[in-house]
Amino acid sequence: MRKQQNTKKQRKLFNLYTASFVLGMFFFLLINYGIKSTSTNEFCESCHVHPQAIQSWKQGPHVYNPSGVKVNCVDCHLPPSGVERFTAKVSTGLRDAYGYIFKDSSDFNWEEKSLRESAAYHVYKSACLSCHQNLFPPELSKKGEDAHIYYDQKPDKLRCINCHLETGHYHEKRENDIEERKLNIEIYTSAATVDSFTNFTETIPGSTVDFKMIAIPQGTFKIGSPVNEEFRNSDEGPQVEVTINKFWMGQVEVTWNEYSAFIKETGKEGRTEDQVKIIEKENNIDAITGPTPFYGNPGQGWGKGKRPAITMTHYGAEKYCDWLTIKTGKKYRLPTEAEWEYACRANTEGAYFFEGKPSDYSAIGFWKSIFGADTSVISRYVIYEQNSLSKTALPELVIANPFGLKNMLGNVREFCADYYSEDIYKTYSKETQIIDPTGPASGKEFVVRGGSFKSDASEVRIAARGQSSHDAWLLTDPQIPKSIWWYSDCNDVGFRVVCEAN
Amino acid sequence: MSNDFNRRQFIGVGAVAAAGLMVGCSGKGGKTRTMESIKFLDQAPDGRELKAGLIGCGGRGTGAAINFLDAGSNLKIHALGDVFQDRIDDCSKRLGENKQVTVPKENCFVGFDAFEKVIDSGVDVIILATPPHFRPEHFAAAIEARKHVFMEKPVAVDPVGARSIIASSKKAEALGLVVGTGTQRRHQRDYVATFKEVYEGSIGEIVSANCYWNGSQLWYRTHKKGWSEMQYMIRDWVNWQWLSGDHIVEQHVHNIDVINWFTDKHPTKAVGFGSRQRRITGDQFDNFSIDFGYDNGMHVHSMCRQIDGCVNNVSEFIMGTEGSSNCRNEIYDNKNNVVWKYKYPQKEDGSEGDGVKVSPYVQEHIDLVKAIRENKPYVEAENTAISTMCAIMGRMSSYTGKEVTWDEVMNSDLRLGPDKYAFGKVDIPKGVPVPGEGK
Repeated sequence: MRKQQNTKKQRKLFNLYTASFVLGMFFFLLINYGIKSTSTNEFCESCHVHPQAIQSWKQGPHVYNPSGVKVNCVDCHLPPSGVERFTAKVSTGLRDAYGYIFKDSSDFNWEEKSLRESAAYHVYKSACLSCHQNLFPPELSKKGEDAHIYYDQKPDKLRCINCHLETGHYHEKRENDIEERKLNIEIYTSAATVDSFTNFTETIPGSTVDFKMIAIPQGTFKIGSPVNEEFRNSDEGPQVEVTINKFWMGQVEVTWNEYSAFIKETGKEGRTEDQVKIIEKENNIDAITGPTPFYGNPGQGWGKGKRPAITMTHYGAEKYCDWLTIKTGKKYRLPTEAEWEYACRANTEGAYFFEGKPSDYSAIGFWKSIFGADTSVISRYVIYEQNSLSKTALPELVIANPFGLKNMLGNVREFCADYYSEDIYKTYSKETQIIDPTGPASGKEFVVRGGSFKSDASEVRIAARGQSSHDAWLLTDPQIPKSIWWYSDCNDVGFRVVCEAN
Repeated sequence: MSNDFNRRQFIGVGAVAAAGLMVGCSGKGGKTRTMESIKFLDQAPDGRELKAGLIGCGGRGTGAAINFLDAGSNLKIHALGDVFQDRIDDCSKRLGENKQVTVPKENCFVGFDAFEKVIDSGVDVIILATPPHFRPEHFAAAIEARKHVFMEKPVAVDPVGARSIIASSKKAEALGLVVGTGTQRRHQRDYVATFKEVYEGSIGEIVSANCYWNGSQLWYRTHKKGWSEMQYMIRDWVNWQWLSGDHIVEQHVHNIDVINWFTDKHPTKAVGFGSRQRRITGDQFDNFSIDFGYDNGMHVHSMCRQIDGCVNNVSEFIMGTEGSSNCRNEIYDNKNNVVWKYKYPQKEDGSEGDGVKVSPYVQEHIDLVKAIRENKPYVEAENTAISTMCAIMGRMSSYTGKEVTWDEVMNSDLRLGPDKYAFGKVDIPKGVPVPGEGK
């Protein structure tokens, strides 16, 4: 009797196991089918709203290559395997569905999305490495070997896409940065003659390039911001009264037209400072050695011409000034931090040289992220995060400050001559009279002033201070030695020249 | 900093041949991890014939060829290459006298391109024993031709060369080739047994180390009539920076490699000094003293000298939190009492022995042949390139008087020697470096 019960029980159990196994298999196959059928290129194409991505992918080396192997959407845009792949698939799926239903794809800034920072967000390094298991394949060039040895030393800091941005989607424009040429092709034979302290237009001899210099009168102002200024950082104080002698300042940030004239005339030699010194000494000349060819594309594919020159190092900016000094016979250099702020304030004392409160303009905060920030006034003066489309802009788009200077607060951040020190104003405050201060005597990083096309309104306040981060800005550069001329990982810093009045 | 290399082999051939390290937590006697004992073979296992080609037929090259032949059965020296005919003749003679081996004349190649001809002569293994300047180019060619390689240390004389070795080493790994590098202490049974003790925690955490190659003057050549400058320099190569890398690289790399091996780290900076007191030819120093600094604050002192009539010492020493070791055969407690000693095989008369059973110079070839025949490849080149780079870092600091960091040396474009090799004038800057400034 008991035996019979037992067998009954066993049979029941057996049925239960079988049923759950079958059910389990069913779900497993269903999920598997679901994953498979939603991982095809056709499925991705069915709601992804960027036909240009399909085209550029087909033209890129992951499809159009000598071995004929095709790499599909999910091979790069999802982690290669495991739970990670599954969760990423679910979360990107939900995000895409939300975007498809609630957003208008024509509002998307596709150009921005193809930049390195954005692309890195949508591509998984583990996916690259799951196929590219041998980083030293046959026919790897000497440069490639050095670059991969460099990667091997910092695998947790570097991503494949830092160097191989073009590998998934092909962009012709990036390969050839088209220069916007002037119609006027008069080649200047001499520099501008300046008799009085007024605005003038400088002409670079031997080139077609000219640029406007604004006369900044002598004056006294308070450097820094008051304690109650919104978004103030501690390095902006204490406020100190500073006197600045007159000087000229570039009306706009140094443009690609201007910087390219320098490259054209001096470029190519000297990767290290020692080599530059040797070359300069050997030639025994009053000439300046110019930049080596850049790593990557300093123009970022945004066009050059009158857009501000970017990605040069502080050294490259200083060498440009030295070159300009020799070319024109006038003393050009980078502005000191005090000159910069004095020129930017133009006798105003607020957070900006126009009206408005940083807290109204800033897009930081929960409500702002839903309802948007006030951009009415600030947009007319500053190229910043809200109006820049994530790239540099032409100078004619903004109104100048009261001195007549454009883009002091936005477009690109600007190198100053001074080393950065957090408490330099404190040092100044101990002295009785401050005239034309030049910052700390030594340091590692340089002052960077003004905001850029990437900045929030809170960061484009006149008093806001920034600094270079030399090592981080060279992180990707795999050349040996690294360039002293070009930053590989910073695309929103340029500079403005000043000309001494004495 | 995170500049350790991926898949860096923790120990040389031994552990790899013995199927890797066993890491566990026994918790007894302060030992926190265990490592499988390495079973060294006295002879390489029998197997298919392996033909070796020797590039660089000087004393060490000929020695390496004989060591290779001694490693087991069915091993042949098939081809010879050198820049000098007399070197090939001497080598052939010695191989004939010692091992009754005759290398056919058509397999002997002379000239700067001899290495290509040896590689293409139908061999399985390439032995590289030229002056180290040429190693990176020869190694790259051998790996490109899918040959197993035994090469002598050091593997380069400058950062450009060392990086080339690392890249070729990665390729060798991908191709499943076996590469041994002449850092024979990693194949020396007493060293390996001591390493096991230290690895398992006998001296606690390593806190500092010293290494020495203080020895006598090496040989030199005087310039003979009819020799071009290139011929003279290569004949006198241990005295020239561009050929040998200076003696800190050429010789002392052994001891630096032992410290890297035992600490499982490499230094991240070096401050050193050195000078030239009694060297007769060439453009090198004859003494160096280096303070190597590490990420974790550790310091290692390295010294080397090639001057006669001074006290000599070729050894290593590591200090741990719970004791110390000479790396070779003894472990000491904190009061310098010997607490462990490597047991050497007894001598024939039954007395206590003092040498390992198989010479490490032969052992490294036994391990190489074993790995080829058992198809368990290992590549030592990257470790040796890193040790070479450490020595180069010390040399650069001593030559300049400046601190040199690992990042600087890894990213340096320093390359020594002429761009092209031909007999005649050698168009490179010459002169003994003078560090610092002043009169």
